[in-house]
Amino acid sequence: MKVDLYNYIKAAQKMNRRQMLKGTAAVGAVAMMPKAAAYADGHGNVRAEILKIPGVGAGSPTDSDWQKVGEMCLGATKENVAEGELAGVELTFMGLNNQNLHNFLFRGFLKPWEAYTGAKINWIDLAQADYNARLQQSIATGTVDFDIIEMGAPFEGDVLGRGMASEMPDWVRDQIDMDDYVDYLKAPVGTWDGKTYRVSIDGDTHTFAYRKDYYESEELAQAWADAGNTTPWAQPTTWEEVNAQSKFLVGKTDPLTGLDAHGYLDPLKGWGGFGFYFLENRAAPYAKHPDDPAWLFDPDTMKPRVNNPAFVQAIQDVMDLIAADAYPADQINADPGTTAFQQFLAGTGGMLNWWGDVGSSARTSDTSVVGDVVGFDINPGSAKVWNSQTGAWEETPNVSPNNAYIGWGIYVMATVDSDEKKKKAAWSAAAHLGGKDLSLWASAYPSGFQPYRQSHFNYDEWEEAGYDRAFVEDYLSSNADSYNHPNAAIEPRIPGIFQYYSVAEDELAKGYAGQYGSAQETADAIAAAWEKITDQIGRENQIALYKASLGL
Amino acid sequence: MNIEGDLLHTVTADDISDRRRRVGRGMVWGSAALFALLATLQFAHDAGRLDVGFTTWRPVLFAYLLWATCLCAAQVIVNGEKGKRTLFVLPAALFVISLVVFPLLFALYISFTDWNLASLDGAQPNGWDNMRQMWGDAFYWNALKNMVYYVAAVSVEYVIAFGLALLLNAQIRARKFFRVVFLLPLMLSPVAVSWMVGKSMLEVRFGPVSRLVREMGFEPSFFGTPEMARFMIMAMDAWTFIPFMMIMLLAGLQALPREVIEASKVDGASGWQSFKEVIFPLMLPVSVTAIVIRIIFKLKLADIIINVTSGGPGGATDSVTSFIFREYRDRSNVGYGTLLAMVYLVLIILFITALLKLVSRWMERPA
Repeated sequence: MKVDLYNYIKAAQKMNRRQMLKGTAAVGAVAMMPKAAAYADGHGNVRAEILKIPGVGAGSPTDSDWQKVGEMCLGATKENVAEGELAGVELTFMGLNNQNLHNFLFRGFLKPWEAYTGAKINWIDLAQADYNARLQQSIATGTVDFDIIEMGAPFEGDVLGRGMASEMPDWVRDQIDMDDYVDYLKAPVGTWDGKTYRVSIDGDTHTFAYRKDYYESEELAQAWADAGNTTPWAQPTTWEEVNAQSKFLVGKTDPLTGLDAHGYLDPLKGWGGFGFYFLENRAAPYAKHPDDPAWLFDPDTMKPRVNNPAFVQAIQDVMDLIAADAYPADQINADPGTTAFQQFLAGTGGMLNWWGDVGSSARTSDTSVVGDVVGFDINPGSAKVWNSQTGAWEETPNVSPNNAYIGWGIYVMATVDSDEKKKKAAWSAAAHLGGKDLSLWASAYPSGFQPYRQSHFNYDEWEEAGYDRAFVEDYLSSNADSYNHPNAAIEPRIPGIFQYYSVAEDELAKGYAGQYGSAQETADAIAAAWEKITDQIGRENQIALYKASLGL
Repeated sequence: MNIEGDLLHTVTADDISDRRRRVGRGMVWGSAALFALLATLQFAHDAGRLDVGFTTWRPVLFAYLLWATCLCAAQVIVNGEKGKRTLFVLPAALFVISLVVFPLLFALYISFTDWNLASLDGAQPNGWDNMRQMWGDAFYWNALKNMVYYVAAVSVEYVIAFGLALLLNAQIRARKFFRVVFLLPLMLSPVAVSWMVGKSMLEVRFGPVSRLVREMGFEPSFFGTPEMARFMIMAMDAWTFIPFMMIMLLAGLQALPREVIEASKVDGASGWQSFKEVIFPLMLPVSVTAIVIRIIFKLKLADIIINVTSGGPGGATDSVTSFIFREYRDRSNVGYGTLLAMVYLVLIILFITALLKLVSRWMERPA
């Protein structure tokens, strides 16, 4: 669970000091009980027990909590590894240290695993900003000095495509119950050429956050009707409606802040490649045809589709809003972080796309004023979809949520394959971190990870653990619906994917600044830059890897 | 004892045997041969021509270090006292070769390859392709054009810095206090400035400057248009570095001979005449130094741009360095990024050389 989400739930449940003390006392009592009590009801009870550590309202978990959870979830490991079996093995784990989470948790989770198996783990902690460069340099210079890596699925092309990872043994597959994954994290994600490499520990998707008070405002509803609109003044479900409402809101007053009202907040400035996800949000329903797994490139030629009418439509939609002066001042200098945290949460703008944490920050951020008026849904769809096979628009409604970044996973490097004992140790550690029970705890408490298994959406478990059901259902269902959508847009896991995104951001910035004559020219410039990157990385190879990533 | 030759600079006389000389030369040539052998072997191995080789270049590095050590030791073994004198310089020269000349040559090689870190094939020489790409790269030329604006802004900074230096050189109250206060921006990291000023004070919604502008009846937009955004970047950079020029000029002013200035006053020169005819000409050497150093700083401008605008809107604020940063770091385009950096290096060398030539010619002109 994201930290902000956890804080939000605490805030949303309005726990007072007495309740906090009760919770703490209960946790204290549990801690005093013999360890065996936690296992009294066997494996089935572990899930309920770990969710009580440290307990909702008992403060943020600490290292001792992570170790407790790690120890209570060792059952699956014990079925495959005997005590002390891996003594003498040393592994190096490379991961992140964002917000003092990620590797910090892994250390705690794996400490009891180390004590039980006898293996030892050394750690390489990286800041997010250094991660990509460090990984790429390690790969390119052949200096892979780690055995296990925490890695996002977009890098699978760089790592799996080069045969640098170890194939998952069958016993790991059984131990972590991969059938429980949400649909989009199942193959082809985590696989390459039909082989499985990834233990998922996270899921990512963009969802649609909107201001409910805009649609509860009678004044705006009346003005909407007076403007000749026949559709009801309600949360938009297509990008056409998003644009219509954004244009309508020009010159209106925000019902909450009394300042100027604004509609959808497009980030018009790049963000190290991540900004392109936000154009994808708009483009996906136009471009991702339900009968075609590809949507960014033609899989047979790697010819970019970023300048096809679908993407041009998405770019044009943004340009229309720029021309209509629908954005807040200085939007040309607003990156995604600005739109979420300095605009939407501060009461500027009515609609936004973001990952899971913006809704939770709505209540917990000091600068947020929209905590009580924010709602969630899956991304808007479109009234038409481009069919790349026929080269024509189809006037049928289409929805395609953007599962941006796909989430973190644990991968074992091929360097361990020559040593069976080391290989078993690495995979056992990975399986422990991606275990079914442990992952429930990680999705319910601050960890940096979001729910990603079907079993994580069993709201009864959350409620039983003391969480506010209404919020959990509202927030999680928008994620679950995106994850499990049959036409979700999943990015290609090919080498250098962020290079494509980064150069697209530069060209989009020029287009938005009016340096290109049209949306088509902007899109053509992106396509030309993408062709160069493909040629540089190697077209034939990219075609093969793109097909593999699509499962073709 | 040898009583001939340079007795003045000879501390001890050396009586070096032929065997000792042979040992010394043997050490040098032996270690050099080992270094060359390993390097050739590794080249052939990496090129796929030989199966024998190491997984990394580290053994070749060790062979280089061995050769360097032998070379230094051989100076004393072969030349005795004279060799010790060489040893004062030789390690430093080898150090420079290792850390400057070799990387520069390696970078030159890289810049003529298509090395993209994501490419499975690694670095492959691609002739003049990168140069041709640069020739048609609108982003690079745009960044170079922006650099002309940024460098031109140094002239304004100089005027302001000179004014402040004159002010702080005058007999004003709390002069020491103001000297410290005016120096404060220089103590701040440009990264801190870009966040505190660019991303906070100038933030359109919350920033105090924005609020002030709004109170005055205008709609604040500091980075919305190309011209305004470029100006704001220049202003933030100037705010950080004007104190640097100011302190250099202030030092120059304090070193001026007072009798010359007093003589001009005795002769009836007004304040302006005294400045124009006496102070400014005398300050020229210091001014030129300050401007040249400031231009060198300016040519490296990147941090504020990367943090505040990422080169936007539409490349309006991009500097060459911030563009290369994106090309290199965000796109792992090592070959092309290195070529851009090498071309920029050549341009800088040409520009600074020409500037210094012009300045020296101008300074030596007859009155």
